[in-house]
Amino acid sequence: MAGRQPRFNQTTLVDTTPLPADIPPVAEIGSSSAPLLSASFFIGARCKPYNDDFMQCKTESAGKGEVDCLKEGRRVTRCATSVIEDVNKHCLAEFRKHWQCLDNNNQQLWQCRPEEWKLNKCVFENLKLEKVIPDAPKGETPVHLRTRQIYAHNGP
Amino acid sequence: MPQDLPPVGGYEPVQYKRNLPARGFRPSVMLLGVAGIMTFGFYKIGKGIREQNELAREKMWSRIHLIPLLTAEEDRDLVRRHLADQKREEELLGSRTSPYHSDRFVRPTYAVTPSQKST
Repeated sequence: MAGRQPRFNQTTLVDTTPLPADIPPVAEIGSSSAPLLSASFFIGARCKPYNDDFMQCKTESAGKGEVDCLKEGRRVTRCATSVIEDVNKHCLAEFRKHWQCLDNNNQQLWQCRPEEWKLNKCVFENLKLEKVIPDAPKGETPVHLRTRQIYAHNGP
Repeated sequence: MPQDLPPVGGYEPVQYKRNLPARGFRPSVMLLGVAGIMTFGFYKIGKGIREQNELAREKMWSRIHLIPLLTAEEDRDLVRRHLADQKREEELLGSRTSPYHSDRFVRPTYAVTPSQKST
């Protein structure tokens, strides 16, 4: 429901009443899918405690999490926003290159490895956030670091 | 009238065997070659499947990292609409009555929009 704003000719069929004043406002993340996908592992690296907190809250307050977990949700959004802002501040060029590549390649991560390596390097140097894929088999190069991507159209 | 007899010295031998050259490799070599090609192919398939698994893992984890963020945003929107709904209901009916026999949050099926001028 939140994702796509319905458009009609006569009226905007969205209830635009704002949240009541006793619920603190928070700026939404406001970025589209490709930048989010590009930054997802950095968001995961920095915001894991908040994310886990939020998901635990949702699990424990079964059925009422929408209302009860607003506070945790605000924390999650603030943390993710901070990551996006930091990446924008330090690695804007690499970030843009990577998510535009993702946008042009059907959001397939393996098509954009060179851009991703540059972005990962920049983010690691400036923000100390590293992309780690959990549960990957040990003793192998992680997929995002392999120099030869089997499925890429024009491999690096 | 003399009878029809075989020629003197008998008939020529009848050629019943085909006289075709045996082309190509020996069958054993062919078999080995095919086995080799297939082994190589399966090896490449195995590699590809392993890589696909890893790529799928990467995709899933990228989504897992984003899900709390997206859920939080959606929940906030739902709660905003829910509270606005309840407020409207109270203004119109003077009381809040839940149609459900539980205090769980129920995602609305229908969205009521406040009346506004068409633009």
